[in-house]
Order: sequence, then C-alpha cells, then structure tokens
Amino acid sequence: MDYRERWELKEYQSEQRLGRRAHLLHAAIIVVLAGFLGMFWYLQIVRGADYELLAENNRLRRIAMPPTRGVVFDRHDEVLASTRPALNLVLVREGLQDADGQLRRLESVLGIPYEGLKERLTAMHRRPTFEPLVIKEDVQLAEIAKVEARREWFPSVEVEETALRDYPDGTAIAHAVGYVGEVNESQLARVTDGSIQQGDIVGKSGIERQYDDVLRGRRGWKLVTVNSLGRPFGPSQPGRIPEDGAPLKLTIDKALQRTLVEALADEVGSGIFMDPNTGAVLALASTPGYDPNVFTAPVSRTTWMSLINDPRRPLNDRAISSFYAPGSTFKVLMTVAGLESGAITPSTTVDCGGSVVIYGRPFLCWKKGGHGVVDVHRALVQSCNVFYYLLGKKMGIDTITKYAKMFNIGEITGIDIPGETRGNPPSVEWKQKTRKEPWYPGDTISVSIGQGLLAVTPIQMATMISAVANGGSLVKPHLARDAAVDPVRLPVSAETLAIIHDALMDVVEEGTATKAQLGPIHVAGKTGTAQVFKKSAGIDADKLPKDEKDHAWFVGYAPAEKPEIAFAIVIEHGGHGGTTAAPVAKKVLETFFADRLPQKPSPEEKPSSQLQAHLAAHPEGSGAPPATAR
Amino acid sequence: MLRRRLLDRLDLPTLFAALALASVGLMAIASATAEQPGRSGLWKTQLVWLAIASVSALVVMAIDYHIWAEFAFALHGVGIALLVAVLAFGKTVGGNKSWLDIGHIAFQPSEFVKWTTCLATAAFLAKRVTTRVRFVQAVQLVGIVGLPMMLIAKQPDMGTALTFVPIFVGALLMGGLQWRWVLGAAVVVGLFAPVGWSHLKPYQRERILLVVNPDLDPSGVGYQVRQSKIAVGSGRVTGKGLFKGTQNRLNFLPAQHTDFVLAVIAEELGFIGAAGVLALLYYLLYRGLVAARSSQDRLGTYLSLLVVCWFLGQSAINIGMVVGMMPTIGVPLPFVSYGGTALIAVMCGIALVANVRGHRFVN
Repeated sequence: MDYRERWELKEYQSEQRLGRRAHLLHAAIIVVLAGFLGMFWYLQIVRGADYELLAENNRLRRIAMPPTRGVVFDRHDEVLASTRPALNLVLVREGLQDADGQLRRLESVLGIPYEGLKERLTAMHRRPTFEPLVIKEDVQLAEIAKVEARREWFPSVEVEETALRDYPDGTAIAHAVGYVGEVNESQLARVTDGSIQQGDIVGKSGIERQYDDVLRGRRGWKLVTVNSLGRPFGPSQPGRIPEDGAPLKLTIDKALQRTLVEALADEVGSGIFMDPNTGAVLALASTPGYDPNVFTAPVSRTTWMSLINDPRRPLNDRAISSFYAPGSTFKVLMTVAGLESGAITPSTTVDCGGSVVIYGRPFLCWKKGGHGVVDVHRALVQSCNVFYYLLGKKMGIDTITKYAKMFNIGEITGIDIPGETRGNPPSVEWKQKTRKEPWYPGDTISVSIGQGLLAVTPIQMATMISAVANGGSLVKPHLARDAAVDPVRLPVSAETLAIIHDALMDVVEEGTATKAQLGPIHVAGKTGTAQVFKKSAGIDADKLPKDEKDHAWFVGYAPAEKPEIAFAIVIEHGGHGGTTAAPVAKKVLETFFADRLPQKPSPEEKPSSQLQAHLAAHPEGSGAPPATAR
Repeated sequence: MLRRRLLDRLDLPTLFAALALASVGLMAIASATAEQPGRSGLWKTQLVWLAIASVSALVVMAIDYHIWAEFAFALHGVGIALLVAVLAFGKTVGGNKSWLDIGHIAFQPSEFVKWTTCLATAAFLAKRVTTRVRFVQAVQLVGIVGLPMMLIAKQPDMGTALTFVPIFVGALLMGGLQWRWVLGAAVVVGLFAPVGWSHLKPYQRERILLVVNPDLDPSGVGYQVRQSKIAVGSGRVTGKGLFKGTQNRLNFLPAQHTDFVLAVIAEELGFIGAAGVLALLYYLLYRGLVAARSSQDRLGTYLSLLVVCWFLGQSAINIGMVVGMMPTIGVPLPFVSYGGTALIAVMCGIALVANVRGHRFVN
C-alpha cells in the first residue's frame, strides 16, 4: 500500500479547522434544503388552492401582438406603404387533440393540401406551444364561414387578426420602397438583442430594409385565458403593449414616380429624377418591376421562382445596382476635366475628319464625314468623338481618374437604399486590382468617349449631372427626408460650368435630344449610347435573346436657367438615347412642370445669353454655394 | 473472504439513496414525455444510461481513491482537452455547443469535467503542507476550476459554468481560507456586482429581475417560471397522480423532463413527492459528510466534501429555478433529470464518496 503513504494522514490542526468547516457545510445544507421545503410548503399547501384553480381553469395562452409597421409617406404626405387588417386561419397547438383528423378535414373543406400542413406542423415541434400554426394567411370571410359552419370538426382551428403590409401603388413604387417578409435565419443571426424574433416581419429591400429599425416597431403580447375546451373566456391579461413603428417621410413624388414608370413602359431600364440642389430623389424606377404586395402574404414558391428566374430580373434595382458604359454622357465630365486641368481652353479647336490615328491605330468618329473644325461647345453639342479622343490622350488617365472621382463616377453615392454597386471607375489602380492587367494607352482613348473599361450606375450619373446643374456641388442622393446631407462644394469654376451648360442646352435645342424639348421650359441634357460590351453581373448572356442594340442614356436637368430637377435615364438595348430615353424624360418633366406649361407646348425663342441666365440663377446664398472664380 | 471485504466496503445506504432518486427521476421522465411525439420512449433510454452509470460507479469504487487522486491531474487534463474539442467540433443543440458525437451517442464533456474538477481540487488541497489557503494556492485553484468554467461559458452554457462556482467556493472554504479573506472577497464581489451586471446580456438581466418581480416579463421568460409555479402549487399535498399532471401533459411546462423535472414530481406527487426528493437529497449529502468525517486522511475528507458542495450547488440552482427563487438557468437536478452524461457524472461522484467511506479502515 505504498501509494497511500504519499497521502498523509490528517493532523490535529487541520482536523480541527476542517471539522469546523464541515459542520458549517452541514448547516448550509440544512438551511438551503429547509428553505426549499418551506417554499414547496408555501406553494403547495398555503397557496395550493389558488394554483390549483389556475391550473384547472386557466390554460394561459400567450398571443403575440405584432406591432403595426410605420407608414411610409411621399413628399406630399401621400401613403406609399401602410398596413391593412387581415385574418389568418390558425391551428392552436396547445392541448391539440386529433391533429391529423383536423388537418385532413381542412383539406376537404378548404382544399389546403394535408401533406404540406402536416410537414409544417411537425417542423414546429421545437417551437413553444403557444405559437399557433398558421394554416392560411389573409383568408376571405367566405372561407372562415366554411370552417365556422363545421365548428365541431375543428376544435383547434381559430381565426386570428393580423396585419398585412399594403402598397397602394404596387409596382410603381416597388424598387424605391421595397418589400417586407418574414425574417430569415441570416437576418436573425445578426440581431443579438432579441429585438427581432422568429416570425417577425422585416424589410427585405429598398426603404423597407434600410429603415427597418425605424419602421418595424417592437412586438408585444398578451395572455389569454381559455377553458379546458380551448375557448377563450374572461379578460386577457396585458403582457406588453406592442410599440408601433414610426412613420417615415420620403422625398419621392408619387405622381412623378407613376409617370416615370408609365413612361418607361415595357422597356427594360431605369430612371432617377432628383432635386439637383439637395439630392432629394423625386422618382426612382427600374423596369420591369414587380408587385411588392405579393410578398406580404407568404410568397408561393411559383411566384417567387418566377421572379427569381425571370431573365429580365425584375427584383434587381437597375437604378442603383446595374452599371453600364456611360457613352457620350461621359463627355460632360471630360469637358470639365479638360477645362479645369488646362488641357484645353474654350477656344481650343480640333479638325475632325471622321477618324484619327492614335498610337498607330485609327479611332473613328460616329459621323462618317467628320465634323470639321470644332471647339469645345460644338464638340459637346455634336458629341464629336475625335475631339475627346485627343483630349483624353492629352490629359492622360490619371487626370480623368481625378475628376471622375471628384464627381463620384465609379464610387458609391451613399443613397439610402441597400444594394448600391460601384461600377468600374476609370483608373489604372482599379484595372490592376480587378483584372491584374496594366493600363494600356488605348484604354484611355476608349474611356475618353465613355466606352471601354468604364461602367457607371444611373444614380452616379444623376449625381454628376446634378453637380453640373447646381453650380458645382456634389449632393448625396437620398429618399428619406431626414437623410439630407449638405452638398459638398467642388473646386470647379463657374466659367467651366457655364460653357458646359450652354452646350447642354443646345443639345436639346438643336442636337441629339430634341425629343426632350418642353416649350417654355428649357431643358439641358446629354444623350449617350453604351456599347454592350458585357452584361451586368449575375446573368448568363447566352440565355438572353441576342440583342444587337446598344444601351441608351439621357442625363440632364431643367429648367436650364435655374434647375429644379435633374435626371438620368437608361434604356437597355434602347439604341440611341435621343430616340428612346429623351421622350421618357420629357413625359416626366411634363408632369413636374404641369402648372407652368401651356396646354399645347409651343416652341419659344432661346434666351439671348444662357451664360448670364445661368450665372444669375446661382447668386450668392441661393441654393448652391457661390461659384469661385479661378 | 474477498466478497465480504467488498460488501463491507460498498457503502450500500448511499448507493441505494442514489438509485432511489434516479428511480423517481425515471418515473417523472416517463410521465413528462408520455404525451410528446417521438419522446415517449425516453425513460427507457434513461434506464440504459442508469445501467451504464451504475457500471461506471462500480469501476470508480473498485479502485482505491488514492490511485484516482494520483491520476487526478491527468484526468482533468483530458477533460479540459475534451472541452476544447467540443468548442472546435462539437454539436450545437439549442444554441449551446456542448455535445461531442461519439458514434451515435452524444456526450457532454462538461458533465465529466465537474467530476475531474472535484478530484483534481481535492488532490491539490491534500498535497499541501499548509492548513490555510495561501494567496498562491488560491490562484492555482482559480486555474483548476476557472479554466474549464471559462471553456464551458464559451459554449455558451452559462448554467453548467455556474455549477463550478459552488465547487470553487467549497474548495476555498474547506481548504481553510481564513474568514477575513472570505469577508474581503465578499465585499469585493459586492462592489463589483454592478460592473458584472452591466456585462450581462439583456435577457440574462431580465431573468434575474424576474426573481425579484415575476410580473415584469418583457420577453416571456417569466412565462416558464409562472407555469412551473402553477405546476408545483397545483400539486397540493398529494399531487394529481402519476401521468395525470395537466401542466405537464398539456405541455405548459417547459423542458419538463430535463430542467423542470422536479415540477412534474411536485405536480403529480404533491408536497409529499417534493419533500421526498428533498429528503433523499439531504440523505445523500449527509452521507457525504459522514464519509468525510470518517476518512483517515485529508484527501478522502476533501474529496467527499467537494462532491457534497457540487451536488448541493447544482441542486440548489435547479430547485431554486423550479420554485421561482432563482433565475431560469438550464441545470439538471442530480440523479433525477433526463440526461445521460449528467447521470454518469453524478453517479461517479457519489461513487467517490462511497469509495472514501469504504476505505475508512487503514490496514
């Protein structure tokens, strides 16, 4: 027994101390257990009768009370999204008897497949029993009557009041406001404070998702007492009052939004109209759209799959997440860069002969015979490629990158709806990072006319043209009225902007965008065609019908003298911007300026000096910051 | 001759008390799961676990506790390694990553580590020359008990982690920590309680506040406590009879075969049943004290006392929760609640006590 010798016998001293402590432990055991015995005595003998009554008569049933989601308003306080009452048919799972029989009878009475219900009921077995199984959402009174008429068949089936999200304008507003749905696993995992629970309705896209915390509110619940047959009786005990979501006011103009969606009609594309002075988005549409109302009740698989698998991707918000080559609309930015960097002056001229040889290869102008001698104004109005090829070559890519960045081209604008993409900025660094290729001089020449590696989102172009319109301040586009941010003054001279502004007016007056003319209201703009060099991410181009046409762009603002509205429109495979995109802008602008337009628009004389008018439109302290002379 | 020695050494009263508690548990589990689809056979599973646990207990008893103590740290090391393994590739059940899958059996290392912690702590205390807990020793004890506790808290199984506190406090007190230090520590804990409070997650605070004020129930935790109290109270003196508890059968009770199994007993067997369970528990703990007193060396004494601290702490947390005096924490009632690894652990724990008792004669 040698191993025992390593463990010494007790010694007198420690024996004493240990003995005392052991007695203490014994005392603690007695105190604790006697305390519990006392508690059982109190619960079972002193209060036993009360609790027996509770157990006997009170089958407490907990009913969740979802909060009412906040109403979303447009800029004139018209409702864009609200909540309407609806009725659900539910199966109460507490004290559930003969579940199978009830589910089978439901199939025969209402035609709801037994198998699916059975599966969902089994799947719920881990959830607390006070949560009922929703048999069918948003049921009609006729269906309820069918069940009520055979009450004895359905002891556990009840009607539950609920609320469904309602979008009165449906498809017209889909991409801006978004839609709601039941919270999914990944969203639940991100919330740690218990503010969202299984089964809660949360925003899934657009404004609904961005401002979910504001709109959602907080769920409450109540305790309802039911007798042993499952019938509620007596008053319900308030548990927690649900806190309703707060209302949210948007900058969207419902009428304008509707007009925009109507104007886009069956085309695939998108448009953004905003206040160039503040960045407040007045209308934002992407077509084809979808009806957000289909998501409020649980989406049937077929509906969902048809939306997901539609090759035209209706769920995709093209206005912020699709990117295209900007085409000639980029020449606006090239002009700013050229004049500001000193590469050209207002009097610089180029002789366009229809093509130009750069780096040993010919680059073509769109006009076969050429434009002849053009200065900046003519080059921009006529959209002369040769002028911009040479300008691009002279400036070099780094200067173009600098000004593109300044005007947020190829950058996130920070609009307050989720899903914005960056596109491809025109920069050496970007190409190196994403394509692992060096920048070739020829790349610069393509980028100079808005083709090649460059890709931008419509919201970026709307932001850029707003900066031109408002006298050189970068605005942050936003949809929630409270999300307005002060514009950032850009270091661009008033002279430069005035030259561009004059040219853009002439584009509408006599150039490529005459279809956007609006009588007494002068519109300024620039069309563009984006060569289809690659489709936006996430779609197999082979599955689409081969469409030879390019994407059509039109960006601009009005009234030219004192802009109140700026826009960017893209029609996918729309061909030339002047033919397809400009009329869309015109329709929306007609709605916007309805009170200022005569019934029949008549052509009017051009003001003598647009430059003066433009400068007059931006005096110190009105809207845009004063222009700084260089 | 050998058989007589063995019988002498088997601490039969203690073992019978443990088996009696487990039998009450089996009945309660059978009743609690009778109405639950797919779970009605759980009591049979528990019976198999009880057989495995009994064999494990016999193995623990067959080997002199001094030899167990020799390997205490090795065993404890294995336990801690298993806890790390659980964190790395454990199975998640109900939000806690506490299980290791061995073939078809889910094994909960945290239960096993309770046992090795008692063993290692007792061995550590017995090896000392001093009769007081010096500062360095206190730090070492924090290591022995705190390391597994931390790993379990990471699962995050706060309930199981909490059961290590009574073992630690027991080790300090039985190890002879002077009272002034005990008081000092209590004051420090009191001072830092607000800090700890601010580190708790909102739902944990809620559970604690519910004990003070059961009507305050923002997220429905109180619903469970309330249902448990209704189950207990409505049992009255003699109970509603086995398999007849409405709270239990209608699924009003949460976790009625695991954490709230005592509520089922109280509902169906009444105050008599609940008092019976308390009496059996007291008897078991008392046998632990008797073993400690009759042991011939410090190791045996410490070992018995620590097992007593463990059982007392874990039982108090569980019963406190059932009667609404403690926050809702998932801790099984020793010997009674459903759970294989937990049952093996407590059976091996009581086997250590019986082992000490059986070796009280120095030869």
